[in-house]
Amino acid sequence: MASLTLKDIKKVYPNSEEKKSKKKKKGDEPEKQKANLQITDEGVVAVQQFSLDIADKEFIVLVGPSGCGKSTTLRMIAGLEEISSGELYIGDRLVNDVAPKDRDIAMVFQSYALYPHMTVYDNMAFSLKLKKTPKAEIDKKVREAAEILDITQYLDRKPKALSGGQRQRVAIGRAIVREPKVLLMDEPLSNLDAKLRNQMRAEIIKLRQKINTTFIYVTHDQTEAMTLGDRIVIMKDGFIQQIGTPQEVFNHPINLFVAGFIGTPQMNFFENCALSVDAGKYSVEVLGKKIALTEGQNKALAAKGVKPCSVTLGIRPVHMQLDEGGFTGKIDVSEMMGSELHLHMNVQGNDVVAVIPTAGLDVSAHSIGKSVNFSFNPALCHLFGEDGNNLL
Amino acid sequence: MQKVKDGPGSQAPANAVQKGGSKSARAWRRLRDNHPFLIMIFPAVLVVFLFNYLPIYGVLIAFQDFMPGDQIIGEYTRWIGFQNFTRFFTDVQFWPLMKNTFLLCIYGFIIGFPLPIIIALMLNAMKSKRMSKALQTIFNGPHFISLVVLVGMLTLFFGRYGLVNNIAAHFGGERVSYFLESKAFRPLYILSSNWQDFGWSSIIYIAALSNVDLGQHEAAILDGASRFQRVIHVDLPAIMPMISVMLIMSIGGLMGVGYEKVLLMMTDGNLEVSEIIATYVYKQGLTGVPNQSYATAIGLFNSIINVILLIIANTTSKKFSENSLW
Repeated sequence: MASLTLKDIKKVYPNSEEKKSKKKKKGDEPEKQKANLQITDEGVVAVQQFSLDIADKEFIVLVGPSGCGKSTTLRMIAGLEEISSGELYIGDRLVNDVAPKDRDIAMVFQSYALYPHMTVYDNMAFSLKLKKTPKAEIDKKVREAAEILDITQYLDRKPKALSGGQRQRVAIGRAIVREPKVLLMDEPLSNLDAKLRNQMRAEIIKLRQKINTTFIYVTHDQTEAMTLGDRIVIMKDGFIQQIGTPQEVFNHPINLFVAGFIGTPQMNFFENCALSVDAGKYSVEVLGKKIALTEGQNKALAAKGVKPCSVTLGIRPVHMQLDEGGFTGKIDVSEMMGSELHLHMNVQGNDVVAVIPTAGLDVSAHSIGKSVNFSFNPALCHLFGEDGNNLL
Repeated sequence: MQKVKDGPGSQAPANAVQKGGSKSARAWRRLRDNHPFLIMIFPAVLVVFLFNYLPIYGVLIAFQDFMPGDQIIGEYTRWIGFQNFTRFFTDVQFWPLMKNTFLLCIYGFIIGFPLPIIIALMLNAMKSKRMSKALQTIFNGPHFISLVVLVGMLTLFFGRYGLVNNIAAHFGGERVSYFLESKAFRPLYILSSNWQDFGWSSIIYIAALSNVDLGQHEAAILDGASRFQRVIHVDLPAIMPMISVMLIMSIGGLMGVGYEKVLLMMTDGNLEVSEIIATYVYKQGLTGVPNQSYATAIGLFNSIINVILLIIANTTSKKFSENSLW
């Protein structure tokens, strides 16, 4: 068990000599953006300004879209990637130049990365054998880990004779048998089907209670992030967007990206809403209706000195309800999810999604092509300024 | 509420009717579905048939008293059964030929089989990929040298007035005619063959190594494995199926050493070790008064040994590992 400190970590993949010479010939070019990668004179910047303190035994989840730098950050912590600049501490020890095997960490890979010619037992015992641990101790540790993961009956099998879920358990077993200070997991569930993924997610929560170590978990699945993490680090284009507990990032997204990324279905956004202030009371005009903001929102806006401007209003689909006196929309798609109904509506040219509980609801009255009236509680709406940051 | 009465699998799959039908209908359907691939493979099958299978017909002359110009099967064909084989087994040259061929092949195999594997593992483990590629290119170079040039180079190096003897003489040593020394024939032959082909033979292993899961290497790094341990525990097991296949094929061709290079290196001085089955077949069949029936019988005997070795190797591999040719 150990705390981790990442101070202003940066990762740059340097340009090859060929590219450098080409660039010299072309002359100085300004920095450019290719897809979501920042390309500078140094090379391709994958991660930058990454600073984070991780407490002992904390479960941190790095989440973000593909190419945001989350796996690169994890690999830098593991020592599989060199850190271009910044400092990485495990406990009090600076480990930038420490070999991966000496960092006292273990990692679970997306592809399991099991040794195919070894049995499950040998896979789990491999690191201990390399450390020249006594045989009796290896046997004890492997069997204990197998017991925790319920794979004792598979110890004599080879990985190819196991299912995806069983392989993933073995991969976790191989990691925990070393009793690492930090356990890194790189999208460990992404190769599993939906049902098994849910099952393994629950297993990881149980595992955490049993092995009591520091976890750093990478995923692109925000459901995994929300259910597993004590804190979530949301990343985009190599930058941290927000760090917070699942509730914090869900209820108080710092910007439009986080608001859109966290939560399923995605938050509804209404652009170009006029924010006005009258006698110290703020109101926002959305879809032709003026909505007065709550006391708390007024205070927050006043404290920031927000002037009347054009804003983007965000409201989560789960925070919308059917209301005869509210906005009128036409149903494009109606998805019956069992306990709730997802209504995809067109409201004055805007695509809006509402999640309505089905208890006591006449579902047939909300089929495609029908009109529906809805409203939302202003206290639950989010206002984003022109720079995309949350104003509340 | 309607309950599903039938259990899983109780209903026939939707495509069951399509997949049914008589054997001939199924064969016709397979033919129709695969006809583009069959058309593509046809030229290869034709070439193999024309140049590998059709000439097997000529093996019949091993059982005949055949003279050049005779028809293989005709009115005047003289069948003599296994006489040519009996003659070879009782030939004074039989055991020396068997011994020379076997020793030349087995020594070559012992050195030549693991060498490309070691080279491939080393090249793959190199940190600098540029250096690895450069070395690979350099190692492949000798493969393109013709045998005549290669033996010429050997003469330049190991001839009585070659480089090695010149150096030895410079330091007061005695000049040795390596090409006239029986003891020098096998080392010269085997080492030069391996020098020429180790790079080329390693290509197949390098290709197999390129498919090794990088994740396994990273997992091994985190497990604390050194570079050498990763080669032993990750790379080597990953190419083991390929090694097994190559081993079976090598054993199958163990006695099939060619005559060209041996003939080029053959001298009166080393004849007692350099005369092998292939050179004897060449001499019997194509030089002096040709005895093609006898030469064919010897060649056929050699091929049968190779086939037996191949079957033994394949069966053994199948029994002790999961890899085999068939």
